[in-house]
Formats: sequence, structure tokens, C-alpha cells
Amino acid sequence: MIRFIFGRRNYYPSSGEIMASIEDPYVLIDKWLRAKEFIVVGKGVARTDAFEKALGKAKYVEDYFQSGILFIKQVLSTEPHARIKGINVEEALRKPKVVRVITASDIPGENQVGYALPDQPLLAEGKVRFHGEVVALVVAEDIDAALEASESVRINYEPLPHILDPLEALQRKDVLVHEEVGSNIAFRTRIRKGNVEEGFSKADVIVENEYRTHHQDHLYLEPEGALAIPGLDGRLTVITAAQYPHLAQSIIARVLGVPASDIKVIVPYMGGGFGGKDDEGPLTAAKAALTAYLTGRPSFILYTREESMRTHPKREATIIKYKSGAARDGKLTAIDVTIIHDTGAYANRGPFILWRATVHASGPYHVPHAKVDGYCVYTNKVYQGSFRGFGNPSVQFAAEAQMDELARKLGMDPVEFRLRNMLRPGLTTITNQLLDHSVGIADAVEQLAKVSGWYSKRREYGVSTGRFRRGIGIGVAWHGISTSRGVPDWSNAYIKIDKDGSVTAFTGIVEMGQGSPTSSHRQIVAEVLGAPIEKIKVTFGTSDAPDGGATHASRGTSIGAIGVLVAAAKIRERLNKLASELLNCSPDEVVIREGKVYVRGDVERSITWEELIKHAYSRGVDLSATGYFFLPKGKFDDTVGQGQAYPAFSYVAMIAEVEVDTETGKVRVLKVWPALAAGRIINPQQVEGQIEGAAVQGMGYVLMEQLVFDDKGRLLNPDLTDYVVPTALDVPEIAKPVYVEDLFKYGPFGAKGVGEMALIPAPAAIANAVSHALGVRITKLPITPEAVYFEVKKHGLIK
Amino acid sequence: MYVKVSFKLNGEDVTVDVEPNEILLDTLRLKLGIKSVKRGCERAECGACTVLLNGSPVYSCTLLTVQIDGMEVRTLEGIQDTPEVKALVSKFVEAGAVQCGFCTPGFIVTAYALIKKGVEPTPENIKKALEGNICRCTGYKKIIEAVTKAVESIK
Repeated sequence: MIRFIFGRRNYYPSSGEIMASIEDPYVLIDKWLRAKEFIVVGKGVARTDAFEKALGKAKYVEDYFQSGILFIKQVLSTEPHARIKGINVEEALRKPKVVRVITASDIPGENQVGYALPDQPLLAEGKVRFHGEVVALVVAEDIDAALEASESVRINYEPLPHILDPLEALQRKDVLVHEEVGSNIAFRTRIRKGNVEEGFSKADVIVENEYRTHHQDHLYLEPEGALAIPGLDGRLTVITAAQYPHLAQSIIARVLGVPASDIKVIVPYMGGGFGGKDDEGPLTAAKAALTAYLTGRPSFILYTREESMRTHPKREATIIKYKSGAARDGKLTAIDVTIIHDTGAYANRGPFILWRATVHASGPYHVPHAKVDGYCVYTNKVYQGSFRGFGNPSVQFAAEAQMDELARKLGMDPVEFRLRNMLRPGLTTITNQLLDHSVGIADAVEQLAKVSGWYSKRREYGVSTGRFRRGIGIGVAWHGISTSRGVPDWSNAYIKIDKDGSVTAFTGIVEMGQGSPTSSHRQIVAEVLGAPIEKIKVTFGTSDAPDGGATHASRGTSIGAIGVLVAAAKIRERLNKLASELLNCSPDEVVIREGKVYVRGDVERSITWEELIKHAYSRGVDLSATGYFFLPKGKFDDTVGQGQAYPAFSYVAMIAEVEVDTETGKVRVLKVWPALAAGRIINPQQVEGQIEGAAVQGMGYVLMEQLVFDDKGRLLNPDLTDYVVPTALDVPEIAKPVYVEDLFKYGPFGAKGVGEMALIPAPAAIANAVSHALGVRITKLPITPEAVYFEVKKHGLIK
Repeated sequence: MYVKVSFKLNGEDVTVDVEPNEILLDTLRLKLGIKSVKRGCERAECGACTVLLNGSPVYSCTLLTVQIDGMEVRTLEGIQDTPEVKALVSKFVEAGAVQCGFCTPGFIVTAYALIKKGVEPTPENIKKALEGNICRCTGYKKIIEAVTKAVESIK
């Protein structure tokens, strides 16, 4: 039987006594993609970790701390930009119980932890570049001693002029955050598709605006921490809260100057990550590891909330200049976009974040002519980093405001206008990528407009002149799955079945709340093997598992579980072959379902799962496998931003209904309706949880969360009192999501990414709803009561 | 300088030597092995460290241990076998109200106090009672659902 799978020719061996098992991941992924009925996939199976978490028995990093372990306290810079003339540790060392003070010069390996660019030290060296940068580590027998001594470390600074505004930083050459770069531009991106002059000449309406978005703190409830234990398991073992154990492992190895194989990283349950612990996690781990390495003793670091907020990377603040045009027929003709990201003191993942914003700048629409320029700009502030959405919520906010304004000028309904331009299979993106499959957004938006009552509400609202004004707005967004452009991405996992029939999958994917290892991974293994789900355990977050990439970019299931599926599918092929011999049938006729192994159509010819596994052990069938899969990537030309940007995109839309109090400026989100086209929904309950959580985190970002810096770039509200996040009283009604299961050919059972999705259109949906309510275009986030009050005043909306 | 403090913890009398500036959260976590109380903000904002002090939910991060001499402290460990907590836990699991789980013990202790107080379980009352607990993962919807169902199930 010859099968053609998306252009690759693969085949099952026709027959023969000694038939090799199928091990080709393309064949296995495709085979399970075509499954028609499911045992556990698509069901709201409860996650395995819920009980122990609800009972307070689940262990997080701090729960592994015991007395007798050294405590590490960080010394943070009090200058935004200064040369370090000297560090005097004498007084600190004289304090009781102090063991050591560690500075850059103590680092045995490389003091270099830059992620995208080699611009960042673990401990400041030569100069500090933001208020809050880590300069030294004070190590003491207990927390109080470390804290006290940390105040006695004397750093002699020679202040340098500092720069906080990214537009100013872009122009100036006399104040440089990184002298060796020669300017404050860390990175540039560019897209050139078609000819924008020609595109704008065909436009009947043109809209041009400047948008501004602000920083956001992740505010994961568990602050960063790490415990490093020398010699445990023959290596330096680090228990830490990081989103990619293998990245933490390699960064520790680099800092210590030892092979990665000397380092083991374990990530236990994590109290939230949202991208923040993807960036900060490895650094936290490296500080504990460095201390343990230098002292030879178990060492523990735990950030206070203030330390966490001062030091860890934030969602980028942006300035986006956006010009777009459309013809009278309602078709977009061109966009010209300039994106400026304030990357702060270090580039970190800034170049990748900027690329993602650049590639997604159009929104999920077909635009024939596009020009996009991106700038990642250094300033003397805490640096930007990964945060759910990764550069995309800000640019979708701008793109979707433009769509509303164009629709208004054309006299069209915003949803109608969007549908006319929406990406569909057969159309190209602004990178000229041809979308060949898995594009379900138009269907999702049509359904969403119906369930939310969009058309009637859009007409009814937005006309009130009273104190309370209602509005309804939509945000539609897209988000590429996997790494952008040609950046390599792969999945892997290791699965073994023990003699008693119990199954363990080992993955580097972590559990930080999203639940992929404790729900979808288990479901996928149970579905593919046919083993009872109770017998399946997933050991997550360990660098001893094969490297299958990070738990970020909504990839925990969409990419992370490909390896799980492939490994399970390899073993399943072997089991089917064995069972066919035992039951006297062909391998294709073998059914394994919930612990029973039988011949299709003849349930009586059966053995149990346990019996099958016993036979496998006695007959030499290998019940262990890895599931390596390297994602195929097309060509991409970075110089013009043209080519294959992502293997597929997830699509998401949100409609929000708001009420604005024009006297106090307070905006209340009354209800949101989400829609998701993210391929197969493996676990609807968990997907719903991701959507609800992201929607509320997005609402917090738009309406209340705001980091305030003083004129030295010092964060003024590094605590939960003055940095306000949503509580139970703030949450809107959230409708059941609309799902369009537009399967992704390489996803496990066709799944695409979910975790970030609902946050991405939230700023756009809410801002468009507020704009609708007031009849005034909102171009700046956050939409605090103060901001609304000034808009109302400026436009004379109330007497 | 240590101070001797005696209180009732989960029904048992305990006496501990504490620093005058020691917070109850540290005494519980580091000296008494109570790990369900979580350290989130140390500023009486997030509620991850919630315990019951003489029956009422309080933040253990801003309470000095010396302040509670002679009082009664109950943590999730001490109420886990009550019908209220059993119902709450099972409804949290069923509803999908647990994600990272760091805030969950605090929510359950607060919800337990709400049930014990016999408050009418309207959505408004439940939201108000839970206002002092922050969850950054779930968006609260499933937590509110779970608490509502738990209250109904033990009525």
C-alpha cells in the first residue's frame, strides 16, 4: 500500500514474514492524524496533578528547601547606567554567618547569558545598565544573615548619562547602552512584499495612526527560586523553576565552564511561568549552581516579589506607526508599519519577539503590498522578554484598530470588512507564505459574530450620550506555531513500558499550570498505545529526558507532544505486530482499547494489556522508544522578510462587550466571546482554562496593569499593592469558546498551539469596544480610568 | 533573641521559639513543616499563604508569630478531612479550577471559611469572599464555579 503524505512518499511494507515496524515519524504522525474515533482524545479528562495541588501537597521549588542549606541574596544596582569602579565586600564578609560574596570575577566559565545576542552577563561586569541589575551574590548560613550582609556590599559607581525613551535612544549616538554596538539599535527586521506605493495609490481610504503599548509583569504567584545540590546523582543537580530544563542546563554549563552532562536540571511543579521563567529561570538556576559550585554546599536562592519584579524581563513596551489603505470594494491594498520595541538594557529574546511582531503585523489578513520595519532599541530599563503572546498582542492591537478605522471610513461593518480580507487556504501572508492548510479563522469569526449577537449590538451600542456607555469590539489575531523563519525546532520524548504494563513518558516539557504533561500528553499516550489511562505517567521537566524544546510559544502540546505521539506510535506498531501473531490476525486488525487487546470485529479473540506486555518481554520486543521529530522548515530571506515564516498558524478571535463610566473613566468588561482555530482540541476543559486565564490576563494588561518607572528607570511599584492585577471581582462573563478544528498536518492528532492565544486579541477587542462606546479611537494602552477620563475631557464627551 | 510562643495548630498544642520579627508563614513553613501555605507576595495581597486564625481567613505573611500566642491556627492540612474541604477539592478538580496550583490551597481555605460562615452562595458573595486571593492562571471562572458547586453539594 503506497500512501502519499503531503508530497512525501512513504509506504507500509506490503507483506512478508519479517516485517519491520514503522518508525518513520512522518508516517506515524499522518496515520494518527487520520484517526476517526477516539478513546480519550477530545475528552475533558481530569489532570493528574489537580488533587495534590488542591490539597497543598504538590511540591514547588521552595518546598525542597531545608535548614542547613546556604541562602543567596542578590545585590541589585542602584544606578541606571554606571561604570563599576570597584566592589568592596570586606564589610559584608565580616558579618556573622556570611560564607562568601560572589561577583563577576568569580565566575569560572563565561559570564555570558545573552539569549539571542551575546550582550548580557549573569553578574554585572564593568558597568551596570539598569536600576535593578544583579551585581553580586551574598551567600550566608541563613536568609536573615544574607539579607543583612547584602546591604553592606559597597559598590563604587561612576554614573554615566542614561537613556529611557526608545525614540530618543534610536537617535542618539552619544549615550550608548552597549558601546560596542555603535548605536542603541540591538536588532532590525524588515518585510518588503510587493510595492507599497502602488498599493496606496489604489486605496480609496487611508488610515494612519501611532500606537503605544506598555510593559507588563507576569506576576506568576510563585517567585523565582532554585536549589543547587553538588554531587547529587553524581552531578550538580539543580531544582529550579525554568521553562526549559535543557536551556537551564546549557546556561549553567556555560557559566561554570563544565560539560552539560555534569549538570542535571529538575523542574518540579511551577507556580506559573507565562514566559517569564523561560528567560529568568535559567539565570536563577545559574546563580544557585554557581554558588554551589564555588562553596561545595547545597545553595538556595529565592527572589522576593520586589526582586522578581525589579529583575526579571517584562512584556515589551512598543511604539507602532501604522499606515494602511483599502479600496472601496473593502479590500486591503497596502500596509506600511514601523515597530519600535523598547528592549531595555539587554536584547534577551528581543530579536525573536521583534520578528514575531513583524511577521504578524498585518493581522490575519491578505495584504498584497506590505512594508514593515522593526527596531529593537536598547534603553537603561529592565529588559524585555518572553510573555504570553511574544510581541504579538501589541501589534495585533494596532492592526485591529486600523481595521476598525478603515471599516468606519468605508462605511462597512467591522466584521464584514475583516471577513473580506481574512486569510484562507490558498492565500499568501505578508511574508508571501502560501497557506496550504489549517486556516479556519473565517469560519470561527462568522460563528462568533452569530453567538455574540454582534450585528445588532454593534448598531445599538455606541450611540448613548449618557454617563454609562456600552460598546462592542472585535479582535482577530493569528500566531505562528513553532519558531519563526528557518530557526530549527524539534520535538522528542522517551517512553518505556514496564513489565507490569505501566507506562512512563519522559519529557522536558514542564508543568507550570498549562497542564500539558499532566493532561494532553497522557491522553495522547493512552490513545496511541490503547493502554488504560490510569497506567500512564508522564515524568516532566527533566534534563534527563531527550531535549524536546521549551515549554513556551504555545508548544507544550502542539510541538512538545509530537515526540510523545511518535514514541508511543513506534511502540504501538511493535505491539500490533506482536498481537497479530498471538491472535492470528493481521496487524491492521489489532484493536487495543482501555486495556483489552482483540481482533477487530471479534472481541472474543482477545488478551489483556498486561498479558500482551508479558509476551513482549519474553519474546524480545523492545518496549522503549524515543520520538524525535525535526520540523520541516521552508526558505526565508531575512533581508526582505519573505518566505516560509511558520509551519502553521493558530487563529483566535475575541468579541468584547464593555461599559464605560464617562464620569469616573472606569471600563468594565461585561462579557467576552472567544473563538479558536487551533486544530484538534485534545482536552476541551484544559483548553477552556487556557482561554479563560489568558482572556483575564489580557484584560488586566489593557485596563489595570502598569509598571511605573521614575526618571532613573527605577521601578516604583515592584509589589502587588501598587501593581494591580485582576481579582475575582473584576472578571467578565466568559462565553463557551467557538472551536474550529482546522487540523495541522504535523501536530499531534492535528493540534496547534493554545496557551497564548486568547491573550493576543484581548487588547484589540477591549480597546475597539471602548472606542465604539465612546466614539473616540483609543491608540494607547493601558486604558486606565485616568486615561479614559482625559479622553472624555479632550473630546468633550460630557458636559 | 528568641521568644517562646504557644498556639494551637490544627488541633494540637505547639510551642516554638521564634524571632520577634518572624512571620507566621515562616514559622509554619520552616519550623512546623506546613507546606500548603505558599509564599507569593509577603505583603498581604495575594492570599497564597491564607490560614484560619480563630476560624477566620488571614494572611500568614503579615502576621508576626508572636502576635498569635494562645490563638488557634488551622491550615489546609488540618481541615482536609472535613466534608467542606473534601467537597471543595473534588469540585475544584472536576471543574478544572486548578492550573499551576500555587494559589489553590489559599482559595480552598478561604472558601472553607465562607461555607462555615453560612454565607448565601450567590455569585456576588462568592466573588467578594474570594477577592483577597489572586489567581494568575485560571481567570477565576472555574474557581467560582467550583466553589458554587461545592457549597450546593454539602447543603
